[in-house]
Amino acid sequence: MTLTISPLPHAKSRESVKSVMWGTVAALIPISLAAIYLFGFPAVKIILATVIAAVVSEIIIYKAASHPITIGDGNAVLIGLLLALLMPPGVSEHIWVPIIGAAFAIAVAKYIFGGTGTLVFHPALIGFAFLLAAWPTLMGAASTPNLGSFSDLLIETGAGRLVEASPALVLLGGAFVLYKKYVDRRVALSATVLLILLILISGKGWQLPYILTGGYFLGLIFLAADPITTPVTKRGRLVYGTVLALLILIQLHFGAYFTGMCFAVLMMNVFSPFIDKNTIPKPIGGD
Amino acid sequence: MKIATMKTPDQVIIPLEQHAGAVCNPVVSVGDIVSVGQLIGDGKSMIHSSVSGEVTAISELPHPAGKNVLSVVIKTHDGEKKEFKPGDFSTYKMSRIIRDSGIVEPNGLPTVYKKADINTIIINGTNTWDLSSNEALMLDHPSEIVDGLRALIKSVGAKKATIIIELDSEALQVMRTETIPDSNIKIIATPTYYPPGTESTLAKKFANKKVPRGSTPDDRGVLVSSISAMKALYDALCDGMPMIKKVVTVAGAVRSPKNVLVEIGAPIKDVIEACGGCTGTPVKLIMNGAVSGAAQYTDEVPVIKTTTGILVQTESDINREPPSPCINCAWCVDECPIGLLPHLLYGYADSAQFDKCAELYIGDCVECGMCAYVCPSKLPIVQIIRYGKHGVAAMEAEMEVEA
Repeated sequence: MTLTISPLPHAKSRESVKSVMWGTVAALIPISLAAIYLFGFPAVKIILATVIAAVVSEIIIYKAASHPITIGDGNAVLIGLLLALLMPPGVSEHIWVPIIGAAFAIAVAKYIFGGTGTLVFHPALIGFAFLLAAWPTLMGAASTPNLGSFSDLLIETGAGRLVEASPALVLLGGAFVLYKKYVDRRVALSATVLLILLILISGKGWQLPYILTGGYFLGLIFLAADPITTPVTKRGRLVYGTVLALLILIQLHFGAYFTGMCFAVLMMNVFSPFIDKNTIPKPIGGD
Repeated sequence: MKIATMKTPDQVIIPLEQHAGAVCNPVVSVGDIVSVGQLIGDGKSMIHSSVSGEVTAISELPHPAGKNVLSVVIKTHDGEKKEFKPGDFSTYKMSRIIRDSGIVEPNGLPTVYKKADINTIIINGTNTWDLSSNEALMLDHPSEIVDGLRALIKSVGAKKATIIIELDSEALQVMRTETIPDSNIKIIATPTYYPPGTESTLAKKFANKKVPRGSTPDDRGVLVSSISAMKALYDALCDGMPMIKKVVTVAGAVRSPKNVLVEIGAPIKDVIEACGGCTGTPVKLIMNGAVSGAAQYTDEVPVIKTTTGILVQTESDINREPPSPCINCAWCVDECPIGLLPHLLYGYADSAQFDKCAELYIGDCVECGMCAYVCPSKLPIVQIIRYGKHGVAAMEAEMEVEA
């Protein structure tokens, strides 16, 4: 009888990198559909262009560098879809803009930093920041949404970007990924709760309707709490969420709503390793 | 009855190392006729024969820990049976009784081994994954277990004792009824959790006593023991019978999975046969559960005192997915019962940065396997951490030589 021997464990959970990435993509499908419903063909064009650009540039770059091609794990699709959702619908008339953004995200933010897992910055945010710096007029949203009435939660007619089409559907996807732990609960929840509390305490309650929008929910749940760029220690993740909320509050003070949140997350990405280094836990009953 | 019995095997292989510590010295020689309960190995914890028969060999044979250990092979006799003389323990101290009866906990340590003021006793009655030997023991022998516990409480002078049982276990009600007369024994129902933890995590969770690094729960007045040890203690005190049998859960790809009372030293192939044999081709034989058990390379290895289960896996149970890079998801950090950073240990050990491993307390890892279980990248974290532990030991030995 031939028996297999291996170190423990002899059972492994069903979750894999693939299921994490594709699961997160699946969580973003409802909001993508809502964006298509609200903006029509331009939304379809942007989503397809960005996702395909991300996947194709990953294939080209990894092939050129003779690395195994890993598009099957869904990370490139996820980056493309997240970037697409950050776009204003008007950019579909200059479709090369999101395409360049996706290629930049994959080439610079993902490949140069070592691929899935070793990222410092969130690639979708790097792509967004790059486009914002390069073509600010094209990337500007036509309107800044705010929560006026209850129906705005379901379909936000004042949406300026694809993701702002429906706060409720972003939250639905967010609840799914939080439940499955595909994003970090500690970061997402601490940042969201603290941000709302800080706004109320600092007497800026009138800004709250600007926070309860799809863009913010996407930023706080899908972008800020992305497992790859957040710290790993338990305490570190709480610190990360807390400082992130403070940074967003500062951006709000200067009236930067959506972009301010994105840059706050990018800024926090830098501090992830630093936070980790200073929050290394002592094993149980540590001295 | 939850616990089935099995036919006495034709031959038992009793390793002389069934506990934490040095290998016992054999006190029998080839050709000797031994009886049930007779002493055959003398050391930190005594080892006794589980059958009556003739010693046919004393040699190095496969041990469940994956090495070869000096073992006594006894061929069972049907005919002339020597009468078993029960030991008399009435005047002994508890630690002596435990040593002489060869009682060891599932982790290999004796139940009482230090002179310490014990205030609280915790009995771990939870089960690991698909293993249910603790529940079966509590259902079949509730009064014996509680009597064993009462004796332990009295001898170490503990003020209270706690038995931890899972919320959905049938044994919960049985044990509650059994302990009604005892005001100092408390039953705590807990949701199912894994890993069942080390003594230190249990002491923190259920007795609220933090155990500093480098010390044991005894130092904080907590004694952590197991259901099987309580039953063994009862057998020793009441019948004078040393620890020669063990309840083992046989699970996985076998025809009738169940809990079996097995003579120590029975080869696992006999135990699997007693459960109807394997369904399909067995590919992995695991001793003690799917997550933290040890895969065996032969089905000749015997059941020993630390065995709680035998799991048979076929090809479809095994995940052979190749590992992919770590994505920093920190699921391993969330799962680690003692609060290590497994993925960092993995990275540093993999690149042979043993000084960094030591800084991150690699030696504290209890190898429960939970990090590698949840890992979405399917990284062999425990394997690499073991490699890191060896590396740290080698590094420290080298530093000592230099100094």
